[in-house]
Amino acid sequence: MNKFHLLQFHALLQREILEHRNMFIMAPAILAGLILLFSVWAMTRMGQDTVSISIEYMALLFDGLSPLEMAPMFMIPAIPFIGIFYFCAIIYLMNSLYQDRQELSILFWQSMPVSNLNTVLSKLVTIGMVAPLFYIATMFALYVIALFWLAILGWSYDIEVAGLGYMFLAAVVSLIFVYLSIVTTALWLLPTIGWVVLFSAFAKRTPILWAIGVFILVGFLEEFIFGTQFLGNFVQSRSTPTQYLILDFQDVVERLINYDMLFGIMVGSILLAGAVYMRRFID
Amino acid sequence: MKNIILKNRYTLLVTVLTVYIVVLVIEGFITGRQAQVLDFENPFFDLNIKDLEGLRERRA
Repeated sequence: MNKFHLLQFHALLQREILEHRNMFIMAPAILAGLILLFSVWAMTRMGQDTVSISIEYMALLFDGLSPLEMAPMFMIPAIPFIGIFYFCAIIYLMNSLYQDRQELSILFWQSMPVSNLNTVLSKLVTIGMVAPLFYIATMFALYVIALFWLAILGWSYDIEVAGLGYMFLAAVVSLIFVYLSIVTTALWLLPTIGWVVLFSAFAKRTPILWAIGVFILVGFLEEFIFGTQFLGNFVQSRSTPTQYLILDFQDVVERLINYDMLFGIMVGSILLAGAVYMRRFID
Repeated sequence: MKNIILKNRYTLLVTVLTVYIVVLVIEGFITGRQAQVLDFENPFFDLNIKDLEGLRERRA
């Protein structure tokens, strides 16, 4: 891959972010704003004593503790962000290869020196690696604001707030875990992503109905032809969040390099290859 | 062969899905992945679609 191809791929990623900035930038920013607003409202409802005791308790709780060990605790405040991200990811993937056919902008993009493979790969890299960075950056900004706010409140109440520094470090380490978890999820669920992208490239309308309908149909056909339920079982075996959550750096290798992960990537690649070839057919 | 597969979007879709399901089934057989039907366990009742006879007997 030479410099031209790298620049081309970078431009494709930029295009994806610009076209979907509402999902990747605005959605987490609005969520962070709502969380901040709710926190301010909740603080004003609490008494001054309760606030000062809460800050003192937090500072004492984290003081001197290893941020690596306490980081998993901060996966909990990340749940709303992860939930919104997954919701946006489904919408994005469903429309990724469908929308440009609807708008006929596919004709413009296919006139450019960009292969269908690069287009599909750019969408995968966007959702698996680039878009989560915006969510992580938003969470980081939220944590920084929260830290300053708590520190200022702590100083105004004359409380020892050194422990808040450890709390902030734990929150920052948790962001790395969140990012790694999202990347692992994208790889673990590659068969699902491949399925959605395939029908996004295939359907003339309502790709979501095609994706769900054909999944049910294929499940029935498998039962009818082979007398097995391996498709249903395969999906079931990959739907437990503990399989792709990373709560420790040691989990990374274990999660990424194992038979089920590699088999999932292989099977997902079949569907993605189908999506790449499907781009030939323009309505 | 390539011309047949790439004849139109439907032939391509059927081919991709066929390859996908065949790979899944072969892998399932080789690794002995347990094929499960809808088996919904909960404290209130048992539901196993494959064991309809058993369900009928329990209801009788």
